[in-house]
Amino acid sequence: MGHRIHRRGMLKGSAWLAGAAAVLSGANAARAEASGEPVPIGQAAPLTDFAAADGVEFRNGLIMACDEINALGGILGRPLEPHFEDTKQMGDATNVQAVQRLIDRYGVHAVINGYNTGSGSAVQDAIADAGIIYMHNDTSSGHGVLIGSDPERYFGSFQTDPSETWYGSGLLKFLSSLTDGGTFAPANRKLAIILSAGTYSSNIANVVREGAAELGWEVSLYETVNVPISEWGPTLSKLRQDPPGVIVVTHYFPADLAQFMVQFMTNPTPSLIYMQYGPSVKSFRDIAGPAAAGVVFSTVIGALQDEIGLDFEARYKARFGDDAGHNSGVQSYNAAWIWAAAAALAGGSGAPGEEEQNRKVAERIRAMIHRGPNGTTRFMPGEQAAASYPGGTDDPSLGMPHQFLQIQDHTAEPVLIAPWPYAKAGFITPPWIRG
Amino acid sequence: MDVLLQILASGLTLGAVYAISTVGLALVFGAMNMLNMSHGALMALGGYMAWFMVTGFGLPPVAGMLAAVLVCAAVGVLIYLLIAKPMLQSEGFETRIFIATIGFGAMLESVILMAFGPQPKPQPLAVQGGFSLAGVHLPIQNLLILVLSMLLMAALALLLQKSRIGRAIRATAQNRDAARLMGVRIGVVYALVLGISGGLAAISGITVSSLSSLLPNMGGDPMLKAFIICVVAGLGRVPGSVIAALFIGLFEAVVQYTIGVRFSFALLLLLVIVVLIWKPQGVFGRQQGVRL
Repeated sequence: MGHRIHRRGMLKGSAWLAGAAAVLSGANAARAEASGEPVPIGQAAPLTDFAAADGVEFRNGLIMACDEINALGGILGRPLEPHFEDTKQMGDATNVQAVQRLIDRYGVHAVINGYNTGSGSAVQDAIADAGIIYMHNDTSSGHGVLIGSDPERYFGSFQTDPSETWYGSGLLKFLSSLTDGGTFAPANRKLAIILSAGTYSSNIANVVREGAAELGWEVSLYETVNVPISEWGPTLSKLRQDPPGVIVVTHYFPADLAQFMVQFMTNPTPSLIYMQYGPSVKSFRDIAGPAAAGVVFSTVIGALQDEIGLDFEARYKARFGDDAGHNSGVQSYNAAWIWAAAAALAGGSGAPGEEEQNRKVAERIRAMIHRGPNGTTRFMPGEQAAASYPGGTDDPSLGMPHQFLQIQDHTAEPVLIAPWPYAKAGFITPPWIRG
Repeated sequence: MDVLLQILASGLTLGAVYAISTVGLALVFGAMNMLNMSHGALMALGGYMAWFMVTGFGLPPVAGMLAAVLVCAAVGVLIYLLIAKPMLQSEGFETRIFIATIGFGAMLESVILMAFGPQPKPQPLAVQGGFSLAGVHLPIQNLLILVLSMLLMAALALLLQKSRIGRAIRATAQNRDAARLMGVRIGVVYALVLGISGGLAAISGITVSSLSSLLPNMGGDPMLKAFIICVVAGLGRVPGSVIAALFIGLFEAVVQYTIGVRFSFALLLLLVIVVLIWKPQGVFGRQQGVRL
């Protein structure tokens, strides 16, 4: 890792003293520096293939968290030692093989992932068999269903972000807040939904489609595209033939979405454009250029633009470069801190087979309300997935904010426009609608 | 009318991109019975080299493109020297080289990933802007790709039909042993064919990334489409591949507009099945005889 972080420097950050760093520091008591036998932890991430841009950030996030945790004494004096395996295209079989290698080869006490979109239940089964802890950001409603089916067996599996369905319901609420408050007057009440094949994108699109009518929207187009897609001509023709008030794109590849904007802007319709996740990646703005300005997007997990979030962003970019994707890195970073604090409070973590100790760690995680750079992480009982704010709770201190952002200047970072109290600016009507 | 024109524009753009991707693959199979499965990785290399030459060295766009073509042509020659040549005389060459080039492609992709990183990058060799025709906005970049594709196909046809090198390539494709007995240096021809294919892959990579972005795995999808087009046209049929590429581009655009985008790939595969039942050698294929 080669990057030295000192305990004194860590403790100087007042924002962090309010969170897990203070908990860990207190549990570690007099241990100034981790020097005991290392605790192996693992990550299975898409380090190559189409999601590598995020996979590398997941790795960076975990490395950074490990260094900071080790600077505070690790877990009761034992430093963390991260190991990584590649999940390539993130198929369920590849994912579980990668996790099994982490368990068999390194004896990891915990697997701390970003997302692997193709995951089903195989990884959770491998984790349950080994009796260790699993923290992931698959953003999947399937996780909660699986945990609910057998909470005893899946005691150690946690999804450290809300499920994808919150994207859909959150979007409809956001649109209502814009139109009801008079901030935005759509050209009509038609919604066009563009999704990619796959459970994740479809689940979001289906929630929007099913909830649209209740809030006075009519779905005028529901179009599934194959990915990757660079030629949007036929889809744009359909949109231009019947221009909707809002275009909702639940596909999430940044490069594909950027091309959509480039081709849309050659002959735009007066439609608000909402996209999911992709525009949070800097390369979306790099590729789309000026065509990116005006796009609204959201993410259920990303660094907030507040004291803790901006501090994290600055440290992350100072370490990994200006183009580093801190919004992806925060996923594993946040999860690692939750696990480390819980393990320290539980009296240490357990290796594969030491299930009783890991059950104590899981108990601590379930009881914890953690404030990280991405807001609050609190696990919903029975699902072991993070609660979403404002969709799942109306108290911002009890849920992870579903952040809505807008690219108002393609040369600058997107601006957080919702939800309260985190928003930093108001929504502005996109330039192609203003005319 | 404007919808028809939009479909035509989208279809021809897709077809032109597919055509450039396909001819390199078809040329190598036609000459050597070799399916070069690293063609997609070569496309990515070409796209990245052009980006690197323009943004890193500040070369003008045309010089950047030429440099990328030369690098990929050199890699093509290396594929012959290091991979194809040692196994050319071995039994089951077609199967061995198929697997070996899959491995080489994976390695090349990993090298690109390590060298340039995983973040998507915009291709600087793209022309912004467009114009309206009968109510349809046509991007200049798409038209450039179409024109470039036609010029390249014409140049390749001239090379194969009218030049001494082209005759040597065609002679080798028809009967390797007879060509050798007539004094054709088979090794040079094969190296040349892989070099030309590498150069075409570079141009293909630049055009594909100008419509999407640079990613280490960006060649995978165009390579799959190119392979499908080769099968439809008849493996190794260079002129037939160009016609098939344009047809399939239009076919996809029509299906995407009329039935739905998600059905286009499935129907394309259905079309391949029908073609292979109807003409197992491909639409332009023959059991034996002249391929190039």
